[in-house]
Amino acid sequence: MSIILHLDFNSFFASVEQQANPFLRNKAIAVGGKSGGAGTGSTGGRAPLLARTVVTTASREAKALGIKTAMGSMEAMRILPSLIMIQGDPQKYSEITKRFLNIMRRYSDAVEQFSTDEAFADITQAAGDYFGATALALQIKEDIARECGPYCTVSIGIAPNKLIAKLAGESRKPDGLTVVPPADVINFIDSQPFSAFCGIGSKTEEKLTELGISDVKSLRRAPLSLLRSHFKNQGDWLYLAARGAGDDQVSDKVEDPKSIGHSYTFPYDLELEAELKTNLLALSDKVAFRMRRDNFYATQVSAFVRHARFPGVAGPSSAGAGVGAQHKIKDGISDGLEIYKNAWEIINKIRDKEMPIRLLGVSVSGLIKSPLPSRLFKKDQKTHRALEALDEIQNKFGSDSWRRAATLKTVFLERASGWHYDHEI
Amino acid sequence: MHELLNDPIDVTVDFIGHRVRPKIIKWGNTIFNTEKVNLVHPAREGENLIFYFSISDHSHFLKLRFDTHNMEWRLVELYTD
Ligand SMILES: [Mg+2]
Repeated sequence: MSIILHLDFNSFFASVEQQANPFLRNKAIAVGGKSGGAGTGSTGGRAPLLARTVVTTASREAKALGIKTAMGSMEAMRILPSLIMIQGDPQKYSEITKRFLNIMRRYSDAVEQFSTDEAFADITQAAGDYFGATALALQIKEDIARECGPYCTVSIGIAPNKLIAKLAGESRKPDGLTVVPPADVINFIDSQPFSAFCGIGSKTEEKLTELGISDVKSLRRAPLSLLRSHFKNQGDWLYLAARGAGDDQVSDKVEDPKSIGHSYTFPYDLELEAELKTNLLALSDKVAFRMRRDNFYATQVSAFVRHARFPGVAGPSSAGAGVGAQHKIKDGISDGLEIYKNAWEIINKIRDKEMPIRLLGVSVSGLIKSPLPSRLFKKDQKTHRALEALDEIQNKFGSDSWRRAATLKTVFLERASGWHYDHEI
Repeated sequence: MHELLNDPIDVTVDFIGHRVRPKIIKWGNTIFNTEKVNLVHPAREGENLIFYFSISDHSHFLKLRFDTHNMEWRLVELYTD
């Protein structure tokens, strides 16, 4: 039987900020950002506004005072006027992610990253038994304190599979260590509410309640046929989960992405068509660079905008609904200009021309991982060579080294509004 | 107060083993003496390597940016209580 370790940082982004800046320690802070936002954009020299950000992570001190993830920053400031809002600094977080994954890989060949601050490791070999596993977990905590900083604490769960390990890890925060050997699994899961299980959402919980199943114990009494008839394939999963069984395969393979995209929430509203185009081109170039770097071609381009509902009025109350649409492309593309042309066609069709725009986004999907098809290669040989040359420059000097003349005005401020976690380039 | 800056600075450093430790930072007429280095993180800009130093003295937090390509130091963040 496997021994699986789950590790999860406590208030990750906020803890890293507190590690870097001692004056934020023991204080209610929140790291602001855009869920799924950003890359580059024209800020026109204006300071980024916090008004449009959401709380991505609250420090434990802020959590204790009612600040929650995904809360609008305006609402958070109303609840807690003394809250210190910090703009996200993704490079810093990414460095800590790298460090903790490296630490885990010292103890296991199979480490599976689950999110920016969370990973599983199969420690069966390294630990030997659950006593060894506990010692190893303490060693990992020590390594993290030393190499990531003492303010970065983690909760660790150890169990026979990923489901129970994660459940165990999350049962004690912050700085927890929860070990659930096989003999304790049933007792442990019986003490947990459905909402704590990764895989039981509120809809599933509702449906279970309707069937008179209110806890893990009663779920275990439910016949497989009943669960199958109400939950299809998930029924099998629920049947096993109620018995403490789950997946113990820790895979360290990185899967290909389904789409590549960049979006940006502007610190002020865009009203001029030229401004829209310039920023759209800059975003398209960013997407294209990542595609070519990872050797992808796209067969679909999507673009979306969010209007400001009331021109000139800042703040969440003026946030309009987003609109988006897609284009299918017969031949695969990886050129920023092509992406831009398709994206602009979409945006020009769907946008309300009377309304200023707050958010712009471009993404490509239907990705094909391959060298350029020969038919395309011949037709576009010249462009392709030019692009390769540009990529070389970019690889050498960074993504700011060349820009199309039209995007020369775009400025990327440190911690600019609407940061996106992906900052590899 | 948290200021986002991009100002050139003069930095005196200590070399300790393979590590660089910023010691004295001169920002215009203001001088900071490093008390603690809280975090050092690198960032790649293509082949160019940048190092960020999160340091503090008794009442300030500073984030310094060192560009290994042109050997230039900048003060990019300043935080005071
Ligand atoms: Mg976490």
